[in-house]
Order: sequence, then structure tokens, then C-alpha cells
Amino acid sequence: MDDYALGVLTNIGLFSFVALSAYLLLIAGEMSFGQQAFFGVGAYAGGILTALYGWPLPLAALAAMALGALAQFLVALPTLRLRGLYFAMATLAAAEMARILFELLHWRRSIDGELAGPDGTQGFRGIRWIFEHGIEPMHYLGIVGVLLALVVGLFLVVERSKLGATLRGIGQDPELAAAVGIDVQRVKLGVAAAAGALAALGGVLYAHHNTYIEPRNFDIMLGVHSLAYALIGGLGTAFGPLLGVLLDIGVLESTRMFHGYRMIVFGGLVAVLLVFRPRGLLDERMVLWIRQRFS
Amino acid sequence: MDKAAFFLSLVLAQTPQADLRCVPTGEDFVYDCSITLTRGGQPLEGADVTVGADMPSMPMAHNMRPAKATPGTKPGEYKARLDLEMLGEWAIKLRLGGPVRDQIVVNYEFDSQGAKPAMGGHKMEHKKH
Repeated sequence: MDDYALGVLTNIGLFSFVALSAYLLLIAGEMSFGQQAFFGVGAYAGGILTALYGWPLPLAALAAMALGALAQFLVALPTLRLRGLYFAMATLAAAEMARILFELLHWRRSIDGELAGPDGTQGFRGIRWIFEHGIEPMHYLGIVGVLLALVVGLFLVVERSKLGATLRGIGQDPELAAAVGIDVQRVKLGVAAAAGALAALGGVLYAHHNTYIEPRNFDIMLGVHSLAYALIGGLGTAFGPLLGVLLDIGVLESTRMFHGYRMIVFGGLVAVLLVFRPRGLLDERMVLWIRQRFS
Repeated sequence: MDKAAFFLSLVLAQTPQADLRCVPTGEDFVYDCSITLTRGGQPLEGADVTVGADMPSMPMAHNMRPAKATPGTKPGEYKARLDLEMLGEWAIKLRLGGPVRDQIVVNYEFDSQGAKPAMGGHKMEHKKH
């Protein structure tokens, strides 16, 4: 496999984590434009722990996930009182606040005689754990793929469980769910924390793949795309966001002839698709049809 | 850190440093680039250099086909042709193999005249000190 294919596949894998975090909130009935913030929290936390303090990547990833979960839990505490568009706007505002905090973050230490660490708008260079440990790009793609498969597997198990039915029930009619005794606020806070952890896992993997991060990496474009992946791919199964990422990267790649205009073309395609399939390609009806057809 | 101490740290640094000079080829968004690599103040020779690019504000979405750089005529110099999608700021990723395994990311602003270090690029970092 050449460098180009490896890069594209790794990016598809990395994007999938943040898309799945947006999807998790969507099936619980909440639309977040702010998942890029928790992706960023994971990237910065993981990078700081490995590059500045010498933590092993797996441990740093776990710590970054815990921090991502805590961050989104704290954001969700006040914002989950809001509904619909207001919640979406609040998550966007929180994400922009996080991006500005990244711009203000200066955490520099001397490592082997050189200053390293986040330096505000100058970014954070030298997140070299995978190079220092001899991990080849193909191996890193394997790590991303295995982690993604584990996450998707967990989604599939949850979606077939009582918890999955509870989440979809809350997403479709929170009042009815509350009427049958479900603590809607508590479940949504748990969902938010899980979504934050998932986005943070993507972030820590991204930071170590790229070796360099900066605040602009975590702006609104990433948030909009992660939401679009879930909406395009479909809300009927965890494979939906993955399909969305594949279509996005695939469509973008296949329309390279448009050069700088390809994002406009992609935006048009998204708009048309959402008019005809508002819950995405793999929506609940499509998933049911596939299950009936192949079971 | 004062200026002298900063430059001393650059000389002592074992982390590879990169400098780019790019000129437009005449074809839209295509540039011929000369990359100078140093390590500890000395030219870094014999490296396998692969050049990729990404846009900082939309990471992972612009999957540019990486270009293999070829050795130039001067010590530590490498040549590569970059085929970008648009003008603007790009994070240029230099993946090094051979004597040094590493990745350097430098931000450059590409326009119709060529490329210059951008905000967030290491050149700005130098100026700051």
C-alpha cells in the first residue's frame, strides 16, 4: 500500500471517531456542532502527556479520554437544559471557547535541550511518540482500525440492548421516555460524557499521526463535517457515520478535478441528499429492511 | 529566552529543522520546492523525504498525494514538486526516513508568487524569541 492510500485510510479512521461521537448524541436526540472541541481536548492532552511527560501512548489515550468525557460532561450540565437549535448553538459556542483556550494555552518544557509543548497560536510540534517507538504508518493504520472496530462493535452491542432502546426512545420522544420512568437528563449526561471520550480518542490518535496540532485544527469546519457524516450516512446504525466519512472522503477525492470548488460541490450534494433522506442513507427504515432481507 | 540563547538552542537541537523555497511552475497550484534540512546546525543528508500537505483549518480533508523528494545540488537540499488544490496556508509535512525517522510540519502561505512562512509556522516562532 502506498503512502497516499495509507494516509487516506488513516484519515478515514480518525474522522470516524469524531463522527461516531456526533452520531451518539444524535440518536439521543441532540445535535452537537461542538465535537471538535473534545477532539481537540484529546489531541492536546494526549500530546502533552507523551511529548512532555513521557507517558506511553495507551495510558495517555486513556487519560485523554477521561478528560474529554469530563469536559463534555461539564459542558452538557448547563447546555442540556436547552433544546434543539439552542442546544446546537450552545455547543458551537462552547467549542469556539475551547478553541480560544487552545490559542491561550502555553505549556512549554525543555525536552533534551529544546522547548516543546503547546505554544498558543504557534501550535504544538514534536508529538513524536510513534516515531520514537518505531511504529510504521501501516502499523498505525492497524492500531486505528482495531480501535475503531472495537468502538463500532461496542455500539452494535449497545444498540441491540435495553440501553440502546432507551437511547432511541429518548431521542424520539423525551417526554414519553420520562413518563415511563427514564431519567432523561441523567442518561443524556452519560451519553455526552461517552461522546466526549470518543471524540478525545480520535483526537489523541490524530495528534500522534500528524505530530503537530494547532488551535485552527479544531474549528467549526471539523464540527460541521463530523455532524454531516452522521446525517449523510444515516442514524439507523453505527455503520452510518462510517459510510458518511467514506462518502465524504470518497466524494472529495473523486472530485479533485474541481480543485478549490470541490467543497461547494460536496455541500450541494449534502443538501440534496438531506432533502430526500433527512435521516441519512442508512436510516432506521433502511436498516430494518436490510435486516429483514438478510436474516 | 534571549535571541542568542535561542539560536544556540537551534544549533544544539537534534530535532531536524526545515526551510522551504517554492516557486510556481505556471500550472495552477503547482510549485517546485527546494527543501533545506538541517540537524544540530549541520545539513541533513541522505534522508528519504516524502512531502505531504494538509490545510490547518480543515485537517484530514485534503488528501494530497505525497511527493517523493530527490536530493538537490547543495548539502541538505532536496527538491520536490507540490501539487496543491488551492492557494492559502498549507501545513507541509516532511516525513523523513533513512538516517533519521521523523516528521516535520511547517506552515507556509502559498500565493501566485511562491510560498512564505505563515502564522503558526516555525518561522514565526523564530521571530517571537
